[in-house]
Amino acid sequence: MSYEPGYAGLGERLGPRDLIPSAGHAAAVWLRNAKVFSKLWKGALLPTFLDPFFYLLALGFGLGTYIAHGINGIPYKEFVAPGLIASAAMWSSAFETTYNVYFRMNELRLYDNVLSTPVEPQDLVAGDIAWSSSRATVYGVVVLIVVAAVGLVSSPWAILIPPFVLLGGMCFSVIGYTFTSLVPKIDLYSYFFTLGITPMFLFSGIFFPFNQLPGWVEVVAWLTPLYHLVEITRGLATGPDAVSILIHTAWLAVVTAILFPIPVRALRARLVP
Amino acid sequence: MNGPAVLARRLAKSYGDRVAVDGIDFEVPAGICFGFLGPNGAGKTTTMKMIYGLARVGGGELRVLGMDARRERREIKSRIGVVSQETNLDGDLTVRENLMQQASYYGIDPHAVRPRVSELLDFALIADRSDDRVQALSGGMKRRLMVARSLVNEPELIVLDEPTTGLDPQARLAVWRSLERLKRRGVTLLLTTHYMEEASRLCDRLLIMDEGRIVTEGAPPALIRRHVGREALELELGGDCDASALLETIAARADGHELHDGALTLFADDAEELLGAIDHDRFPTDSAIVRRATLEDVFLRLTGRSLREGE
Repeated sequence: MSYEPGYAGLGERLGPRDLIPSAGHAAAVWLRNAKVFSKLWKGALLPTFLDPFFYLLALGFGLGTYIAHGINGIPYKEFVAPGLIASAAMWSSAFETTYNVYFRMNELRLYDNVLSTPVEPQDLVAGDIAWSSSRATVYGVVVLIVVAAVGLVSSPWAILIPPFVLLGGMCFSVIGYTFTSLVPKIDLYSYFFTLGITPMFLFSGIFFPFNQLPGWVEVVAWLTPLYHLVEITRGLATGPDAVSILIHTAWLAVVTAILFPIPVRALRARLVP
Repeated sequence: MNGPAVLARRLAKSYGDRVAVDGIDFEVPAGICFGFLGPNGAGKTTTMKMIYGLARVGGGELRVLGMDARRERREIKSRIGVVSQETNLDGDLTVRENLMQQASYYGIDPHAVRPRVSELLDFALIADRSDDRVQALSGGMKRRLMVARSLVNEPELIVLDEPTTGLDPQARLAVWRSLERLKRRGVTLLLTTHYMEEASRLCDRLLIMDEGRIVTEGAPPALIRRHVGREALELELGGDCDASALLETIAARADGHELHDGALTLFADDAEELLGAIDHDRFPTDSAIVRRATLEDVFLRLTGRSLREGE
């Protein structure tokens, strides 16, 4: 297999000086992405808005009609709807941190310029992840507004959903960025979606709960970030349980923090050999 | 600033088993234009990348504006400007937005930088294209915008890696003029080039690299005198001309020679006299041209004529 130019694997261990981002420089990276998005958002937002809408229509209103008693006492439409907020954030983050980062890095070579300014790799990764999770929040909020408008949100706590979507977006983004910084070829991205994102979308408790299934299914789901964000959004949309939300939030925050050094190391090894 | 703009001692860099820069020493005095010449793969770009922070220092010492390139990358990068070999402008942004965005990477206040951005657009002769997307610009305009972008942070040193490669003569001239204006303002320029004309025109001092090492260094006229003399005599040898016999009779009178595919170039302070000394009956030539020796002669003499692939 031929590698992308400059592919360098994981790279060496870094000290805090090379891992802790500078907020100002990360903000400049965020700003660039936001600027470009502000020019393209009309075309970019529509599919992500329509996608969950179709799922809601087919499964919530279609399939849901045959699930007379709902799930765990919640009508099926209301069960599915909050999960689609979480999945919209996931899809947005996954595309942003794979294809979009890939093109900025390897095709447009923009990162070569950025890294020859005072911006360092950790600022670049932090700025890109901050942007990707902001974008994920925009997408999540659009879906939230849609499902609230059609009356599928029963709890006023749903107003607190956006910051949690931001956190979930960070977690999805750092995972996508890790993949992009380590993967030697763009061809492998389809595996990321086929073996990672799509199964996660189907088996993270958006469409059915785990309490009737063998215990290991829930264990596997527990290892995925989407499951935790779905639990949070569903909790807030239907009436929250504070302890459970705290646990899921901690999971997302800890995984994000643990993974962050990996794309920083790999990107640095790749772009500053 | 006191001291040299760039100081390298036994500077080295390898990529895996491949040695790109093999322990070089050089000093770039502040306020001049300093050129790096060399065939592809000589190590010029790697040296530039170590200076502007896109390659880590492999071995030896490198100081840029008095700072250690290993430890003070962020500080160094904030005070230099870079025009990389590859045009890497942001195609989704307009011309003006490219400069504004660059300013934000340097942490410069967007309101404060606005007048400077307008000034740079004038400097690069692209003020009338300010609101066009970069994708719509010609190659020459893009390179001029690259130069303008490298000036956003008012750098003390600008590193230019093949700034005019691929440009037509008019566009090249426009870039040269902008670099000459910068030189007059006292900015230190460090450039790599394949074009000897560019090097002779712009550089106060230059060095020639080959295979990771420095072959020679000096001011262009001094290099020409040192390595090839003042003039060159180019002979197109006739089919039955015995080149080695000709050289036996004449080589001692020349400062050097190059024989390549039946073309003999002889270097001397007085090429006319050298031409007169040739026994034309014994050594028939198809043509004989006397011209001034150039940097190109120095370059080919020191780095050979064989083709180099890739870098």
